[in-house]
Amino acid sequence: MSRTNVMVFVCSLIALLAAPPASAAGGDALKVSQCLSCHGKEGRETGARERGAPPIVDPGVLERSVHSGSRCASCHAGAAEIPHREKPGRVTCGSCHESAASSYQASIHGMDYLKGERDVPGCTTCHGKHDVLSVDDPRSVAFSLNIVDVCLGCHEDEQVEMEHALPGAEYFKAYRDSVHGMAVKRAGLNVAAVCPDCHGNHKILPADNPGSKVNRLQIPSDCGKCHPGIQKDYDESIHGKGLRAGIMDSPVCTDCHGEHTIVKVTDPSAKVYAKNIPRTCGSCHESEVISSRYALPKKRFSTYMDSFHGIALEFGMTKTANCASCHGYHLVLPSSDPKSQVNVNNIPTTCGQCHPKTSVNFARGKIHVEVSREGHKGVWMVRVFYTLFITALALLFILHIGFDLVQRKRDRKGKRAGSGEERG
Amino acid sequence: MRVFEFDEDREKERYVEIMPVFFRVQHLILMITVGVLFLSGFTVLFHRTRASELLVAMEGGVEVRGLLHRSAAVVLLFLVLYHLYYILFSREGREEFQKLKLQKKDIADFIGVLRFSLRLSDVYPDLDRYSYKEKFQYWGVNTGLLIMILSGFILWFETASMLLFPKWVLDIVLIIHGYEGMIVFIILLFWHLYNVHCSPGNFPMNRVWITGKVDRELYSRDRRGYTGKK
Repeated sequence: MSRTNVMVFVCSLIALLAAPPASAAGGDALKVSQCLSCHGKEGRETGARERGAPPIVDPGVLERSVHSGSRCASCHAGAAEIPHREKPGRVTCGSCHESAASSYQASIHGMDYLKGERDVPGCTTCHGKHDVLSVDDPRSVAFSLNIVDVCLGCHEDEQVEMEHALPGAEYFKAYRDSVHGMAVKRAGLNVAAVCPDCHGNHKILPADNPGSKVNRLQIPSDCGKCHPGIQKDYDESIHGKGLRAGIMDSPVCTDCHGEHTIVKVTDPSAKVYAKNIPRTCGSCHESEVISSRYALPKKRFSTYMDSFHGIALEFGMTKTANCASCHGYHLVLPSSDPKSQVNVNNIPTTCGQCHPKTSVNFARGKIHVEVSREGHKGVWMVRVFYTLFITALALLFILHIGFDLVQRKRDRKGKRAGSGEERG
Repeated sequence: MRVFEFDEDREKERYVEIMPVFFRVQHLILMITVGVLFLSGFTVLFHRTRASELLVAMEGGVEVRGLLHRSAAVVLLFLVLYHLYYILFSREGREEFQKLKLQKKDIADFIGVLRFSLRLSDVYPDLDRYSYKEKFQYWGVNTGLLIMILSGFILWFETASMLLFPKWVLDIVLIIHGYEGMIVFIILLFWHLYNVHCSPGNFPMNRVWITGKVDRELYSRDRRGYTGKK
């Protein structure tokens, strides 16, 4: 009999004497103090655990947690009897927290765990063990200001990203510099969006899964939890209508604002910064595929970039009109809609935001001038005329220079012909 | 005894002043303003080029570009107005302007020079004080300037213009302004650049715009009637 075994026997004996005999059913009848006779620190020598002694527990930690007052066996089901018949297994939180458990099992993390993956997060990763605290407690690992570091703990790890064929650390890291990440880090705001706010807390799924909270169709209502006013506008807009009709090409919040990279509209790196808006809208509205598929007006980007507004914007004058100035941004409506800012009746008012004294003349003609016979006949004709005229002029000049060079070589009455003073 | 003596009579005999000093000043102002207008205008006309980006940066941003363009335009406008006053209300100007009017002789001269170049004739026409080439440039650039000034003002005061014209008219005015600017540029590039810089005997440039004087001998060759030398 080794010393350890003797100790286990003695401890069990003491526990048995100190407590009424414990049945399997009334397992949690065991007092914490009884468990501590073996699992307490008292009289432990260093290195005892390595020699097979039971793990040590600090009862204070449990008392400070949400589970204070619980008996050990409420969670450690296999430890209801002393001495334990076999080594107690893993704690299953799901026996009390059923909905959380079923959500977790349906999540990508839970499914991976069931497949046998062991480097996926479980309950304790975010909630702790004996020290479980309410998620509203700032000391909790799952508290909004702490959770980002937990998620990024794995998702910033290039190794983890590689093994699980994930997009890569940079993609997730970008969140830290986003307007949401900054609000958490710098301003310490507990209302700023953190990972679980968009991805869900237990049922995290990849975006291509229809049940995912970050699936395309869910995004507007996702963002709308914090930005309800914008969601309302978006839902009324042609883009919102398109999405509801199942048109997956219709842009959602993330298409214009980015996902983990969302920054303020005043930030020059934002896709919705004044100078970048034309390219952002143009990524669909200059696209031949999308314009043709949904019968939209074409070349909205290039025609804008050739206008005076576009040129001024490209050269850095941000106060000039960009797409959003005329079309709106969240509440984009087609010009056929009487409520649209670009409806023919509203154009003078829309232009009037910048131009004093606008008249109905502002709406007479196209704003996006496409230089073609169909687009703007007048401009097209002028361009054709000038192109021919300039070409002819240049050719005649070249011809004239040729003649002049020839005649200067000719003799004229013994003098170099035409080498006289010429001006012009 | 002096080694060198400036002989005014001989000087007069040798040179003829065809560009008095106030002509030269006007030419200088025209040169500078048109240069600025080209540089600041082409940045907009060819806005998709890398050169335009650099030019805008050099000009100090897109707003300064507009300011430069319009300032040069105002200076040029004053020059044009002065010129109009000169040809309308000063005797000298009126007389000089008569010589710039297009006549049948100019067409005959042009054909004559062509015939001479093509070796169909051995006689080079006898030109006037202003040859058909000089007249062509004067009238060509003036027509261009008139169009540029009119279209430029319409675009400058776009809000006022839009009270009169619909937007599609301004679109046309804008494209006219751009192409007309190019035509003026083409005239200077192919015509002026050749005639006073690159043509044989003038390279690298004819200095008349600085000195105002030309060699009487050379000048008289094609203007036998005008200078009275046969």
